[in-house]
Amino acid sequence: MACVGLQSFPVDVEVDVADRGFPAFNIVGLPDKAVGEARERVRTALVNCGFAFPQKKITINLAPADIPKEGSAYDLPIAIGILVANEDIVLKEKGLFFGELSLDGSLRHTRGALLLALFAKKVEMIRIFVPVESANEAAIVEGLEVIPVRGLKNLVEHLRFVKRIPYLKTINIKKLIETAQPEFDMAEIVGQETAKRALMVAAAGGHNILMSGPPGAGKTMLSRALPGIMPTLSVEETMEITRIYSSAGLMQPGEAVIRRRPFRSPHHSISLAGLIGGGSRPVPGEVSLAHLGVLFLDEMAEFPRSVLEAMRQPMEDGKVEISRVAGRMVYPASFQLVAAVNPCPCGYLGHPKHECRCTTRDVERYKRRISGPILDRIDLHINVPAVEAEKIIGNAEKGESSLVIREKVMKAREKQLKRLTGTGIFCNREMKNKQVKEFCRLDSGGVRILRLSMEKFDLSTRAYFRVLKVARTIADLEGSDDIQSVHLAEALQYREKVF
Amino acid sequence: MTGNRGEDIATEYLWKKGYKIIERNFRTRFGEIDIVCRDGQTLVFVEVKTKIGHDFGEPEEMVNKSKIVKVKRMGEVYLQDKGLDVSCRVDVVAIVIENSWSVEKIEHYQAVY
Repeated sequence: MACVGLQSFPVDVEVDVADRGFPAFNIVGLPDKAVGEARERVRTALVNCGFAFPQKKITINLAPADIPKEGSAYDLPIAIGILVANEDIVLKEKGLFFGELSLDGSLRHTRGALLLALFAKKVEMIRIFVPVESANEAAIVEGLEVIPVRGLKNLVEHLRFVKRIPYLKTINIKKLIETAQPEFDMAEIVGQETAKRALMVAAAGGHNILMSGPPGAGKTMLSRALPGIMPTLSVEETMEITRIYSSAGLMQPGEAVIRRRPFRSPHHSISLAGLIGGGSRPVPGEVSLAHLGVLFLDEMAEFPRSVLEAMRQPMEDGKVEISRVAGRMVYPASFQLVAAVNPCPCGYLGHPKHECRCTTRDVERYKRRISGPILDRIDLHINVPAVEAEKIIGNAEKGESSLVIREKVMKAREKQLKRLTGTGIFCNREMKNKQVKEFCRLDSGGVRILRLSMEKFDLSTRAYFRVLKVARTIADLEGSDDIQSVHLAEALQYREKVF
Repeated sequence: MTGNRGEDIATEYLWKKGYKIIERNFRTRFGEIDIVCRDGQTLVFVEVKTKIGHDFGEPEEMVNKSKIVKVKRMGEVYLQDKGLDVSCRVDVVAIVIENSWSVEKIEHYQAVY
């Protein structure tokens, strides 16, 4: 099986052992370096497992010939093919073979096991042989016989019916997700009630959020806790995330699925290709790795402008299209953006005790680094002030734990889902203007407040719709069917220009 | 001189091992195969490397990849020339002789590359 992006194609590994000419070992079918080096791995592994490596002219053909093959997963099928050609074993069962060999003949964790399993299911090839460390990934697919292979020797014994390897039971993903605890608990964060509230709103409506505050205020901590208060993953979502991680080779050995919503925080030195995805054979970037999770941009103003601007399309569409010579690839990239910034280069603008050392020009220039269109796509803007000493030292009351908040968030999401059925979208952030008009009706008090504030703060049309969306989410959180003036007032707070 | 002596030694050595010697110093415009012989069904092209003494390293170190490739290519020429299509391989015989022309060491490497 070959992968192009998240698509898979079957690859036949044909092995020919010819009894004339000089001994040779050639692989054809557009192998990349890793596939080509399978020669040495297979040869050594076979010899070290006690099999004779034929001194004959061996030709491996990876068909279809015109799709580039990459990765190390072809080691095992090649080795099996040689063993069969050498009449060491007789294949009596059908199956897909997959895995990287190490020199002693044992199998290594190989990326893409889940994609293989999904593919096997599609073509109704029930049995697959995968390295034991990658087998859990494949075992989440129902209706397959996933045979975890420790090494070449075990596999040969299995195929010779000497000692059969039992296949894995299908892993119940649901249980795995439900037992996953949030990595960071909101209750551990001191103070910052406003920010916590805003994060809850963000989680409930899927809104993007921008936090501005001095260094050390807890912006990073807060954002790390966000995945924990977002709704628990559904089985489909888990599969989608795991597919991306499996194809990118980011699964830990033995890991079955990604159980928590991803949290990605790329450093601001990231390149455009690193964020969006790229390469001559495109690999997923950070926006895709944060799919259905959180993309956290710390010090957002330090990111190169071009990189930030490139995020616009994925933020709108929930996917990225990467076009290269080798092909066009579409990766999902539906993430929630959390951006953290300092209010000025030194970080202390507006701090109650610390003096800001920046000139007005410095501040101006700093703020210009993030363009309007990007800021416009962020629904919630909040200030995260420094925490007062009393709260840190004293036994400040612990806030709500992530699990409690998550309950509320999930209730709000349920309301949204019910309302949005049939529209093809799933949360308030995604609402188009038409839906905003339909679902975000205001009472007379609300209309008055909104008119006043529009005049006073000079809100743009787009801002107007965003305020309404956020107000809708807040109303959902409160369990209210219509938007009341309190909800609207709170939403207007998150419009305050903080950066 | 040294080379010829070495090739004689190698031929005898291989013959004693049960190889059937077919030809010595098969030559074309492009190069040469020291010994062509047969090991069972397999045609063997042998490159002989001879040195006097151990100074400057062992003889086998003096046979590098390009030399082997050259012998292999010559082997292909040989096959064409004789119209053969059999399995074949390249061997290296490394010989160290002393000043007194006696053999000090003989090493046979099968199927190099």
